Amino acid sequence: MSIALKAENINKFFLVPDKFQALSDVSFEINKGEFVSITGKSGSGKSTLLYVLSTMDTDYTGTLMLNDQKITGNKQNSLAAFRNQHLGFVFQFHYLLPDFSCLKNVMIPAMRLGKLKQDEIEYNAHEKLKMLGVGEQALKPASKISGGQQQRVAIARALINEPAILMGDEPTGNLDSKNTAVVFEIFQQLAREHNKTIITVTHDNDFAEKSDRIIEMRDGKIIGLA
Amino acid sequence: MKSGINTEVAFTYMVGRRKQTIVAALGVTFGISMFIFLNSLITGTNEYTEKTMLSATPHIRLYNDNRISDHVMLDRYMGNKTINLISNPQLVPDDNKIINPDVVLQQLQKRKEIISMSKQVSTNIIYSNSNVEENGNIFGVNILEQDKMFDITSSMITGDVRSLINKPNGIIIGVGLAERLNLKKGDNITVTSTTASRTLEVTGIFKTTIKTVDNTKTYCNIPVVQQLLQKDRSYITDIYINIKNYYNAPATAESIQQETGYTVETWQSSNEQSLAGKKIRDVIANSVVITILIVAGFGIYNILNMVIYEKIKEIAILKAVGFQGRHVISIFVLQALFIGIIGSILGMIVGWGISYSVSKMYIGLGNVTYLPIAFEPRHYIQGAVFGVITSFLAGYIPAIRASKVDPVQIIRG
Ligand SMILES: Nc1ncnc2c1ncn2[C@@H]1O[C@H](COP(=O)(O)OP(=O)(O)O)[C@@H](O)[C@H]1O
Ligand SMILES: [Mg+2]
Repeated sequence: MSIALKAENINKFFLVPDKFQALSDVSFEINKGEFVSITGKSGSGKSTLLYVLSTMDTDYTGTLMLNDQKITGNKQNSLAAFRNQHLGFVFQFHYLLPDFSCLKNVMIPAMRLGKLKQDEIEYNAHEKLKMLGVGEQALKPASKISGGQQQRVAIARALINEPAILMGDEPTGNLDSKNTAVVFEIFQQLAREHNKTIITVTHDNDFAEKSDRIIEMRDGKIIGLA
Repeated sequence: MKSGINTEVAFTYMVGRRKQTIVAALGVTFGISMFIFLNSLITGTNEYTEKTMLSATPHIRLYNDNRISDHVMLDRYMGNKTINLISNPQLVPDDNKIINPDVVLQQLQKRKEIISMSKQVSTNIIYSNSNVEENGNIFGVNILEQDKMFDITSSMITGDVRSLINKPNGIIIGVGLAERLNLKKGDNITVTSTTASRTLEVTGIFKTTIKTVDNTKTYCNIPVVQQLLQKDRSYITDIYINIKNYYNAPATAESIQQETGYTVETWQSSNEQSLAGKKIRDVIANSVVITILIVAGFGIYNILNMVIYEKIKEIAILKAVGFQGRHVISIFVLQALFIGIIGSILGMIVGWGISYSVSKMYIGLGNVTYLPIAFEPRHYIQGAVFGVITSFLAGYIPAIRASKVDPVQIIRG
């Protein structure tokens, strides 16, 4: 099995308000096609770790490899280009662009990537929305649909460039149990059928239990690699 | 397609804030239309004053000035063995005549930049009709040469400039003098210099745009003035020269002065006051315009800051999904440019509208019937360029700020 993500001795300090070690010597590997949950109490450093893994936070020591590429030390612009092509994100507060339609929201990362023609991108975006069960909402403004639907549109956006890795920071944190179940199933399907690597931070123990593997954190350290 | 998405995002943000966008664009419109109007008015005014100046002043005047005594003659007499100084040099009074004017004219004829020349002799004079007297200047001229230079024909209200050719004793006078001395065409007028007096016949009356000229200036044939001054027939005091591009007068004058040795004066130096006025007008207009453009720039700066403040989460998301700093900059600079371009286009239209309506406003002060307004494409192009540059700068500063947004900080909340 090939490795999708490798973290070695990740340390991170916050200097304000006081010097505080948010991550200490975090090391682990995740295989391609794995569906991994990161759990732990509030304040244990889950989000901090995910932002390092997502390449958005570059202020850490240690080494991060994604898709067999060394990420640590790359410049912001090349990291942005890497995220655009290889990573998908889903946030707790779905963060769609409210001025655009759902369809356009999904198309934006692909238009940024610029590999396909406009009509191909539009077709793919429609396909993704249909796959996630929100095909009907495609032309509605992103601000005019329900929270559960917004989260599914956000997942469609995360998938539009066919990234190898999908990351989520409490993607179900704002959803009711029915929608949480829907999102879980989507993630599981993506891992099983599309061989995507899924890494989600979650509070939800049921959600974590059902995933392939749990990484548990406390005080910035990994205490369990189940 | 790659930059298409930046344009699309920029456009959507602007449409989402239609009102502020329009207000910001109107700020630019106001600035640009003022720029165009003020420049058109000032150029019009400058052209008008220039035309007025050049209707009475030649581009270049060549004359013989009194010279300060120097040591050249002394050196020649004493030789180089001594150093010769004149302790209290004086102006040497001279005849003020141009020696051998025809040779000078021939010499100047070789210069390609000269389009017309006119030699003349002038003097202060007292005009009188019965008991009424008026002071003035009489110009002995070749009337055809002068007419070519100053277009006297267009200012004639009675008679013809050619009448001087047939009547050696003819005189063309200004309308002011005609009224003061109650003269009509065909009447006699007595002219008295310090040395002689003659009676001439009025053959024409002109009306220029300058009151003092109409009150004091008269034209007659060269011999008349030579006789009044009791000088010989080669006595010429001035040569007037017009050249192709009158802005080059100082350079041409300089070289003529060196070639001929006579004093040469340009229209610019004899109209320094008016040209100072032009400078002042330029400074005032430019400060007004710059102020307006800065205010318009702040309008754009302001709206973009507002958009960025409001959309900071979305900027973070765009960066999270792979937008680089330069993409974010282009999103916001594009908005500024849209505003600037729309504002500038409107500004050109409004600027033309204001200029046009003002040019149709009746003023009727002195010789100015309508405000002189120039309609020059370069003002419109300059205005639009300034508008777009100002907008760009006003957008660039907030755009840089937007590009520096740290997505982690924003998304972490
Ligand atoms: N920007 C920050 N500045 C200082 N301390 C921070 C910052 N973000 C998080 N922390 C601290 O780091 C620790 C881990 O935070 P976080 O990763 O958000 O925890 P979790 O997501 O597991 O709830 C917490 O103690 C939190 O107070
Ligand atoms: Mg968290």
